[in-house]
Amino acid sequence: MKLVESMFPFARIPYGTWGSSYFPGWQTSPLAEVNIGQFAGEAMANILGKRKVRRKELEYLVIGSTVPWHWKFWNGPAVASCMGQRIPGFQMEQACATGLSAVIVAGSEVNSKSYDVAGVLTFDRTSDSPVGVFPERRSYRRTEVIADVWDNFGFDPSTGSSMLSTAGMTARKYKIDRAEVDELTYLRYKQYFDTKKSGFLDKCLFSFDVLNVQGRLLGTISEDVGVREISLQTLREQRELDTCITSGTQTHAADGMATLLVSSIEKAKELSTRPEINIEFIAKVDIRTGPGLMPEAPGMAVKKLLDRTGLTLNDMAVVKNHNPFAVNDAIFAKTMNYDWAKMNNTGCSLVWGHPQAPTLTRTLIEALEEAVDLGGGFVLIFGCAAGDVGTAGIFRVS
Amino acid sequence: MRSSTLQTLGLGSIIEIFQNGKLPVTAGELVDQVFGKAGNRGALVITGANGIVGAGKTMQLGSRLEPFDIPIIALDFPGVPDGIAKQYPGLVKAFGKGNANKVMGNIIKYSYDGKTLPKALASHNPKFLLEAIPEILEIKKDHYKAFRESFPDIDIWSVTSGFPSSQLGVGIAHPAFPHEVNKIWEIVESTPSSSSKLLWALGLIPMQVSDNWAFVLDVFFCGLTGAAARFNETTNMPYWKIDKYIRKYFGPNPFRAHDAIGAAGANFLTWSCLHHLGQHYGELFTPSDNMNEKKESGSNWYPLDHFRPMVDWSMNEEETAEFDAWILGPLFQMTSLMLHENRSHLSQMNLIGELCAQFRKGVLALIRHYGADAARKIVSDYHKLQPEAAKNAWYPKEFDKIGSPEWQQLYVNAEHDGKVGVISINRESYNHDVNAELNRAIDYLKSAGIENVIITGDFHISTQMVGADTTDFFPAIEDANKGIELSKAWSATARRLHTDFKNSVGFINGKRCLGGFLELMVHCHYLVAEENAALGMPEVTLPVIPGMEGCHWPFRKMQAGNYQNLLKLILSGKSVKAKDAVGWLIDYAGSTEDSIKMALKIASGGDHGIAKRAVNENPISDIPNEIAGLENNEDEILSQARKALLDCIKNSCNATLSDAISIQAKHSGEFMTTKLCKKGVIGSTYTKTWQV
Ligand SMILES: NC(=O)c1ccc[n+]([C@@H]2O[C@H](COP(=O)([O-])OP(=O)(O)OC[C@H]3O[C@@H](n4cnc5c(N)ncnc54)[C@H](O)[C@@H]3O)[C@@H](O)[C@H]2O)c1
Repeated sequence: MKLVESMFPFARIPYGTWGSSYFPGWQTSPLAEVNIGQFAGEAMANILGKRKVRRKELEYLVIGSTVPWHWKFWNGPAVASCMGQRIPGFQMEQACATGLSAVIVAGSEVNSKSYDVAGVLTFDRTSDSPVGVFPERRSYRRTEVIADVWDNFGFDPSTGSSMLSTAGMTARKYKIDRAEVDELTYLRYKQYFDTKKSGFLDKCLFSFDVLNVQGRLLGTISEDVGVREISLQTLREQRELDTCITSGTQTHAADGMATLLVSSIEKAKELSTRPEINIEFIAKVDIRTGPGLMPEAPGMAVKKLLDRTGLTLNDMAVVKNHNPFAVNDAIFAKTMNYDWAKMNNTGCSLVWGHPQAPTLTRTLIEALEEAVDLGGGFVLIFGCAAGDVGTAGIFRVS
Repeated sequence: MRSSTLQTLGLGSIIEIFQNGKLPVTAGELVDQVFGKAGNRGALVITGANGIVGAGKTMQLGSRLEPFDIPIIALDFPGVPDGIAKQYPGLVKAFGKGNANKVMGNIIKYSYDGKTLPKALASHNPKFLLEAIPEILEIKKDHYKAFRESFPDIDIWSVTSGFPSSQLGVGIAHPAFPHEVNKIWEIVESTPSSSSKLLWALGLIPMQVSDNWAFVLDVFFCGLTGAAARFNETTNMPYWKIDKYIRKYFGPNPFRAHDAIGAAGANFLTWSCLHHLGQHYGELFTPSDNMNEKKESGSNWYPLDHFRPMVDWSMNEEETAEFDAWILGPLFQMTSLMLHENRSHLSQMNLIGELCAQFRKGVLALIRHYGADAARKIVSDYHKLQPEAAKNAWYPKEFDKIGSPEWQQLYVNAEHDGKVGVISINRESYNHDVNAELNRAIDYLKSAGIENVIITGDFHISTQMVGADTTDFFPAIEDANKGIELSKAWSATARRLHTDFKNSVGFINGKRCLGGFLELMVHCHYLVAEENAALGMPEVTLPVIPGMEGCHWPFRKMQAGNYQNLLKLILSGKSVKAKDAVGWLIDYAGSTEDSIKMALKIASGGDHGIAKRAVNENPISDIPNEIAGLENNEDEILSQARKALLDCIKNSCNATLSDAISIQAKHSGEFMTTKLCKKGVIGSTYTKTWQV
């Protein structure tokens, strides 16, 4: 493995102290009915319990969440209370960049020696999103009402266009072929279902029994509900909503949470079930591309990251991205001269959905587990985020 | 077989009560000794009288001492919320408005600044101080000093949860929650005093315990809470769920109990006990960080309503074993410590857990159930998780004595004088343990050649006989065979009272004898009861089908003309007074003293003039199909239960005595798996506590 400096030489991700819920599609599960902040706090305590980490170890909580939830004002401390731990915390967000940045924020806190152990907890409920009523003196209607998830998907205030149109526009810019996108999508589904059958997901994902107010079982979250195997033929037959974009080649909104810990070197050894595994932070960047070209942003972020670290894509043991549109992968492959078949081996958000904040956290968890299975190496995760943003990070597993 | 707990109070054995033909002492004579003779009675002072304990005990003692004209002086700070007034509705409910007003009329309230006692106090001639002020050593000591300076001869008891008498310099009477109704008091004194005997004579349950930190109850209760808090710290499992598991497996829900008592005060008390115990006995007790936090914040253990739990928790086999180690390990170790220190009579140690801390089975019974080696293994598993706890306060050899009568007969004792045996039961509800112990008690008497026996409550811990412990039915709810086995086994024991002795006399002294216990007692050749005792078969209201031959045995002993009475008893679920049941259900009813005398007269073959009612061993076919005068016929569930009961009665009566046992058991066992039973009291408690 190439020698590169770590961005946070004093911070580590203790192997195996992580976990994510399944991501049921929006409106398909009890998660559509819960206060997701409370759920995430309780679920994190549960995951840590199963991982044999005492909640007491936590000193600080970095919350990543993008869709407002009831009592969001109280953020980290409220969520920490739901896990039974009175610790401070901090909530941060930038759409789908949140899941990676939250890990970086925790890394920075630990690296600066403010804490020995910081928790990262990302979550979102896109189902029945809250509606905001905003006095807006400059708008024609004077008062604007926004359904947080859908209205924002449909309108980027900086450009006036929708998410979907960025995908079509960028596909046209790079002259992406619909047939390639369908084939790529088909592979992504296959990768997910092969992984599911292999049992790999059991190392990353946890089931939860969700209770109603009477304390009785409301339902069990033990599936990425809504994900079905799909044939190439079906993909090919789907109507195009924009260039290269069909309902099959874009992701769907989902609900869920994901968590991992960041700690000092000593604590990582203490907390991990496999202390011999060393997981380091190498580097991370965000970039912003031109208006309406969001799907090209991830590749640009990766390029910048590689330039800065001196690493190449060939140095990467695991490559994974958050790809709400399949064209993202095609564009990445084309611009970076990389074979899209080599990435996203264990599944990706195109398939299992898009609950925003936890998406890249789950991606990272799966990537780290995959790297451990491969005997270590560099891990590259990246993705796009609202505002034509690209985010990318590299970790090293040894 | 062993000494009775009554003896620890200096009140003699149970067989002596029958031999003397009366109770060992009366409340009247003891009131004279403690408060002075009528016309010149002194007062009982309760300090901290507006507090949780103070107000409760003002009610409990006030209602019992009112007939003796003993003024109750309630002393507290000015301006604190009136805890006594809050008790009034409960008092009215228990005693009726007239009596409640009388009790309240006898309470004299004073307030003071905590230093200078009110001048007028002297005019009431304070004889006895029950101190119920906060659990802070120095404050308590100053308080006694103030009283002793003004009233040098006053007797003082502290209700302290944890400080030994050696620290406080006064006697201890540690009461159990809820204070207005719980009759149990842990008493520390060098020899049994008139005051503790008076509590007994007033119908309360004083228990002598040794002068060690936190006595018995709070070692179990605080210790369990401490262990459960540790389990939370280790596994992150939330308190509410730990509570549910503890409730399922052992009975208590310690965290809910703290919230119910009032978390601010209860957290402090539990912490205080654990803290002092920890200082004496080490890590086994030392409060964990979350316990320290709860003491500081005084906050509830259960989440606030708007954060009602959302994520459920479960345990796999390995986690369940860890749970056992974390929860049972410390409890077993604490028990070894208390045994080593000889903290109390073993029956009391066991029953304190059941009666004051909601254990379904007392901790000693639990250890006995596991056996010494398995119990020690659980403690050593616990020590692997918390190695520092192994350093002190662990006496594994104590469990070597499990085979002794003290351990084996926690609930049932037997004594004899060579001619008459007395079997006494100190548990108010009948369970598998009582059943096994009763069999051993019968064996013991038989092996001593005893042919005459009285079976009775223990005149101390059991103040009534309420029937079967329905938690023992839970396994039967999903499996009819379990119910049938239980019914057959318990019935077989009951039959021994009929077959194994020449003369067996059931003696009912307490307030009531119901359900399974009544079924047991009717198997005696004679049944004698205090005239006001309530006798009943409430099974229909639960509903369950009686399983100890209540549906045929008593019919076989009565004339056909009385069937209606018994049918009404069974199908209505309502009790009758003993004096109204003579001749068909029982053989004699009289005052306590007369019935004690009569029981012995019958058992010893004296001239009692009561004919032995024979048991008809042939099928009885003329049980009426219906009876008049039943209420609530429109209640669908009740009607179905009545029908099922009547079927059982008719079928088990219409068989020979030898066949009837299986028929009754089949009806009883099968009924427990029906929807009707599941929807009822037992079924819903089962669902609530076992389906977690
Ligand atoms: N709460 C329980 O269930 C429980 C059970 C058993 C024993 N105890 C013991 O009972 C005692 C009191 O506990 P509590 O829970 O009732 O507390 P509490 O706070 O409810 O009541 C204490 C009362 O004492 C009063 N008080 C304080 N200082 C006083 C003084 N110097 N003179 C007169 N009154 C004074 C207070 O105003 C208050 O009304 C403690 O020793 C405790 O260990 C409590």
